[in-house]
Amino acid sequence: MSLMEASGGGSSPESVALGEALTFFGDVSAFAAGAPSGEGERIAALAAGIAQQAGLSVSDCHALYFAARLRLAGALGNRAFAKGEHLPERAARMERWDIPTEGARLCRRIGVLPKDTADIVRWQAECWDGTGYPDQLRWAGIPKPAQLLHVAVAYVTASDPQEAFTEITSQSGRAYSPEAAGAFTRWFHLNAGEIDAMEVPLEALHGSAFAPADAFALLAERIDAHNATPGRANRLAAHATGIARSMNLPVGDIEALNFAALLSGAGELREREIESAQFGALARLGIELRARNAATAADLLGACPQLHRASEIVRARAEWYDGTGAPRHLRHEAIPVAARILGAVIAYDALEEDHRTRITEDRMLPVSRIDKAAGTQFDPAVLRALAETVKARA
Amino acid sequence: MIELHERTRRISASRLEELLQQYGCTSMVDPFMGVPTHLNYLKRHDIAVHGGDLVDWFVRAGEGIVVNDFTVLRDNEVAEIVEMLPGRIYSVDMFKAWEGVFFSEEQCVYLGVWHDNVRNLRSDGQTGLAIFGLWSVLCYWLQKAQQPDEMQDVPPSELAWNYIRKSEQWVSTNLRRNTVRQADVLSTINAQQADALFIAPPARNSFRTADARIWMWEAWWQGNPYYNIEHAYRDSLFGQRSADEAGYARAIASVLSSAAEYPVIILQTTEQRLREFEPHMRNARARVDVVAPHANEVYLIGTR
Repeated sequence: MSLMEASGGGSSPESVALGEALTFFGDVSAFAAGAPSGEGERIAALAAGIAQQAGLSVSDCHALYFAARLRLAGALGNRAFAKGEHLPERAARMERWDIPTEGARLCRRIGVLPKDTADIVRWQAECWDGTGYPDQLRWAGIPKPAQLLHVAVAYVTASDPQEAFTEITSQSGRAYSPEAAGAFTRWFHLNAGEIDAMEVPLEALHGSAFAPADAFALLAERIDAHNATPGRANRLAAHATGIARSMNLPVGDIEALNFAALLSGAGELREREIESAQFGALARLGIELRARNAATAADLLGACPQLHRASEIVRARAEWYDGTGAPRHLRHEAIPVAARILGAVIAYDALEEDHRTRITEDRMLPVSRIDKAAGTQFDPAVLRALAETVKARA
Repeated sequence: MIELHERTRRISASRLEELLQQYGCTSMVDPFMGVPTHLNYLKRHDIAVHGGDLVDWFVRAGEGIVVNDFTVLRDNEVAEIVEMLPGRIYSVDMFKAWEGVFFSEEQCVYLGVWHDNVRNLRSDGQTGLAIFGLWSVLCYWLQKAQQPDEMQDVPPSELAWNYIRKSEQWVSTNLRRNTVRQADVLSTINAQQADALFIAPPARNSFRTADARIWMWEAWWQGNPYYNIEHAYRDSLFGQRSADEAGYARAIASVLSSAAEYPVIILQTTEQRLREFEPHMRNARARVDVVAPHANEVYLIGTR
């Protein structure tokens, strides 16, 4: 049975949603590592194609597919990319060697993945001759699917397919196992180097121990680690949903707002510093930056069908209540109420963080400070609800 | 044709580090060190490491990538290793005995040249890096002899250059003292103190079936193509004395009883051999955990 045939069934709404969440996780991590959009999908499809040429079992092919999609999961929070770290090139390279190991740890936490996924992620960058990382495994010590993933990554990430083909064949017995290079060569000749898109093998996801919401929560945790804002996503989500409930928003809106709050930090993944470190939360100068980060996060979230509504909330979170925000200069009720809430809680969290950490004579409470922007930057009704929520939590 | 082992032992340093973290260990001793890449990984992750082995080149490689904190090889120094230097007299026939058997004439000449050049290096760190890097060349040649059509011909000096350069990338410091020693198992265990003892015991009589890539490189380093690696294991704990089953069991038991001072013992084995070791570990330790991520990667962890 081919991988494609094997991938035909098992598409219950739950597994579809889980598949979307996991591939979204992979895409956001790849984004954080600087990979171009769609790269993970291409690598996974190619790896599966080579695996068929290498005669891997269907279960190995499935594990390989998910490992390819999540191969850069460990980049989230890696010190080579993290905020405020300016490591010398040698040190940054060594930090990047830890990406596969951290990715493997994350894959282990995602209990529904095929059995060997974590180990394929762990050993994806091992070289046949022992010059790879993290473990410098060599020869048959490297699991076959991991050898194939290494080849697939080399091909897809290269700028020129023909040059990549030459490089892979010339590195047979060095970076790549002769078997993996051979399987790749056969695939290349049969497919003229063209990668066919493939469906996510949903039936390979097993058990119900991990739901899409768990994937988003785990991703939010890693985004916070990457942005050096520990716990921020959960704080934002708690405040935002608290306000939404007190304003009697529909359940669907509250759920979308929850995801928007959890994942809004995705827009800052490639920034050298988080936006509140560059501009004060209430500064007009920060509008463009906030809108850009909001658009980046919204684009990422928009690629996941379950997060379409959350995406629209995130996109509008840099609008100002008086219409002087960005990107669309919406004003008053034209700004979705969930976006008004998200904008306010993000600013409030930054002010609270500032209040907690800065030694300053200005001891004004964050609520009082944010209240000064009522009617201009923020919806006064939202700020009233925010004040009540904060008071209730206190 | 020479036989290259299809399966060699897999030591996953990253997995080992996870176990060490889990048990709160910040230092580790490995008396069956082998190629010390796993110690290099642990060192890079702030664990103080101490290795021991009877095979000289393993220890030399350890001086390059485990003990060495700062020494690297500059381009001109690598060039002085990989090519014949004018004015120096080389023993180009040193490895002639391997010619036509394992290697070509050109390869044998290079092996002689590299041997002389490496022996003339100025520091243990540089020597270790060169030995470690050049070993990959030997491995490539032996592999290519088996799969000539699937691997490219690469000029020896280019191959050597690339591999020495790559070995240099592993040099780092953890601001702690890391050591390697050429010694038998018990000497290493008794000479060091650490939070954890890691052992991946060799199979019974494995010294007699050592991988060609290992014994040949020891022969190269000794400058003697007829060198027999059994010499290294003569009179050692896991040498002739443990050739029979009972002797092997006694050797394992003595290793574990000698490790009484170590708070944690991690023994790596396979599912197949687990029963062989588990009773010994249970005799030696009050609490034993088994972590088995794979059938061929099983950890027996003994704590007090």
